[in-house]
Amino acid sequence: MPRIKRSVSARKKRRTVLEKAKGYYGAKSRSYRAAKEQVQHSLQYVYRDRRNKKREIRRLWIVRINAGARLSGLSYSQFMNGLKLAGVELDRKILSDMAINDPASFAKLVEISKGARAA
Amino acid sequence: MKTYHAKPGEVEREWLLVDANDMVLGRLASRVAQILKGKNKPQYTPHVDTGDFVVVINADKIRLTGNKMATKMAYRHSGYNGGLKETPISRMLERHPDRVITRAVKGMLPKNTLGRAMAKKLKVYAGPEHPHVAQGPRPIDLEDHVDG
Repeated sequence: MPRIKRSVSARKKRRTVLEKAKGYYGAKSRSYRAAKEQVQHSLQYVYRDRRNKKREIRRLWIVRINAGARLSGLSYSQFMNGLKLAGVELDRKILSDMAINDPASFAKLVEISKGARAA
Repeated sequence: MKTYHAKPGEVEREWLLVDANDMVLGRLASRVAQILKGKNKPQYTPHVDTGDFVVVINADKIRLTGNKMATKMAYRHSGYNGGLKETPISRMLERHPDRVITRAVKGMLPKNTLGRAMAKKLKVYAGPEHPHVAQGPRPIDLEDHVDG
């Protein structure tokens, strides 16, 4: 059986890890041992945060809808309640975008919501 | 569709004027902090300062509820052992009325670089006069907001 030397594959392994650790702080981008640990953690964080991103961005939409609705005199919860009663099924992504780019129609939605709540 | 994110260069900032006459300190501060942070605008972006400028006048006429005028203290620490200094809020209100409001609002803003940048947009003056006439601040009524 031929003798296997580790040089090429070991270098390759360490190079890939160090390349993934580019831009990290201090030894974490320079020393293989420190970089390996950080890269393992970092990959865990990105995996987790790709999922958390969906929750965070929804929270941001809600903050923006709240701000937009308050300009026309309703709080977020009142506004959403009115939309539900009125049967408006726009989601929070679209609503927050309307609050920014089309304030006139958004204000109309707030009026619709008010009307449904009064009824 | 991509969610909108305000860019630092393209934030439109307004100048607002708040009259602190007979307003309760904490209630005023929480509303002012919201405005400085930009949470009253649909363009709000957490990592960008989207807030407006706020000019507060008549800071010396602020109101405190309960027994706070007699008991409330303003604390700071020099960093040395036994270096905790305390000032009665009544004395601060007498000598530096603007500091009372600045302090209250700063405490309600984030404690980071962005929070300190937001605090810089707050201008507080003791009397009814202010040097920002050129910016034409729009008077607003803080009582006039949606509850709940």
